[in-house]
Amino acid sequence: MENQTYNYAIVRSFVTWSMIWGLVAVLVGVIVSLQMVNPDLNFPPYLTFGRLRPVHTNAGIYGWGIGVIFAAFYYIVQRLCKVPIWSDKLAKFQLWLFNATITASAVTLLLGYTTSKEYHEMEWPIDVMVVILWVAFSINIIMTILKRKEEQMYISLWYMMAAIVGVAILYLVNSAAVPVSFFKSYSAYAGTNDANVQWWFGHNAVAMVLTAPFLGMFYYFLPKTTGVPIFSHRLSITAFWSLIFMYLWTGAHHLLWTPVPDWIQTLAMGFSIMLIAPSWGSVFNGYLSMNGQWHQMRENYLVKFLILGITFYGLQTLQGPMQAIRTFSAFIHYTDWVPAHIHMGTMGWVSMICFASIYYLIPRIYGRELYSIPLADLHFWLTLVGQLIWSISLWIAGVLQAGMWNAMNSDGSLTYTFMETMVEMYPYWWARVLGGVIYMAGLVIFIYNIYMSVKKGEPTAVPTITTEGRA
Amino acid sequence: MDLASIVYLGMTFGLLVIFVMIVVRTYSKKRKDEGEIAKYRMLDDD
Repeated sequence: MENQTYNYAIVRSFVTWSMIWGLVAVLVGVIVSLQMVNPDLNFPPYLTFGRLRPVHTNAGIYGWGIGVIFAAFYYIVQRLCKVPIWSDKLAKFQLWLFNATITASAVTLLLGYTTSKEYHEMEWPIDVMVVILWVAFSINIIMTILKRKEEQMYISLWYMMAAIVGVAILYLVNSAAVPVSFFKSYSAYAGTNDANVQWWFGHNAVAMVLTAPFLGMFYYFLPKTTGVPIFSHRLSITAFWSLIFMYLWTGAHHLLWTPVPDWIQTLAMGFSIMLIAPSWGSVFNGYLSMNGQWHQMRENYLVKFLILGITFYGLQTLQGPMQAIRTFSAFIHYTDWVPAHIHMGTMGWVSMICFASIYYLIPRIYGRELYSIPLADLHFWLTLVGQLIWSISLWIAGVLQAGMWNAMNSDGSLTYTFMETMVEMYPYWWARVLGGVIYMAGLVIFIYNIYMSVKKGEPTAVPTITTEGRA
Repeated sequence: MDLASIVYLGMTFGLLVIFVMIVVRTYSKKRKDEGEIAKYRMLDDD
């Protein structure tokens, strides 16, 4: 068979490192949630909420999320193209540059070096590292696709290419800055232009990092897991192009009620509503792919992760457009509703697909069965319960907060002081800590299960994997 | 309407036309089998 030279060693490495960064992200997340309920846990200058919070978000999005994307893409692209990756050396270089970049990001953020742009806090030398890293990855994936032996391009490959091109454009444009020292730069844009470019980047990082790659992974791992094809490939292609045409216009919905021109806000609001269609095109495609297979929700732990993942994606893509409407945004923006929304996406949609992907990959890249399916089931329930506690408590907190901020006395003065609204948040912030701890317990069980699978799992009946990680 | 507005309008219309063409092509009856074959082929490799 032609698949005798597939490189799974690189997939293994990215799986391992993504889990390490995932644990760091969640651990720091729990710490910052504790800092919110107990300010004495801030240890200035390095371990304060202000410095740890971007470490949490960057480790989560770029360490965990992109780490799993690299692992899954290197596996999927070889399988779908029926050729090994174009360059093993380039992939290995990318792995070490990836870890160096995430480490440098964490260290510099703790030292207080930041551009202050959300999700793009790292200073310019790290931007350069990211660009080199992404170029190496892009070349390897695109060259593998160009040299493919399979004529048909499955939908996952389209999402891969969109993510590669999209991230490159977004990152380069938002990185434009004037360095004034080795660790300080100023944005090339000014005022509302800077804000507009930043949120064009910020929201489309959600599109090109947290949506497109994970839809590609979902479309690959769901049929592979259930053993039946997706409902409609043509629907997936149409939803893909709709998503690509619409997403890039939506960033300014983060800037409603700001000095950004009104027409840009309205445009972003309109396109955000329109995005429901392509998003739910993929959700329906996923659900309809389960026709006659719903029994697998009881029987196959992987299906549970994948279907709950796409369900949270569906909920996320309804709630997001709702928040992009001016009147609703006026109520909930700047409240705790917003992090609850984000965490339904990251802990629900993205991480569910990450977990499913790694569970799927382990037997195929190590040649060993999963150590314990009951532990995987327990992990699923801890993830689900932890995420729901996290998000629901903060949605309630957000509505309460907004209500208190907007409450006025008959003479037009505010009913509550800001401190009074803060005090009301404490029970919900404790609930968030609880949700985070439950979620982290699930993550620890997941990592233990993966570790034990590699060390003590039963050999699989699938093709032998060499010690060098080739199959 | 100034030149910049005309260019923006033209680009928007052009993108819309390209999108409609993609959808029409994807759902053309002639290409039905071709459009769906990838979902079966991806299951072959294991």
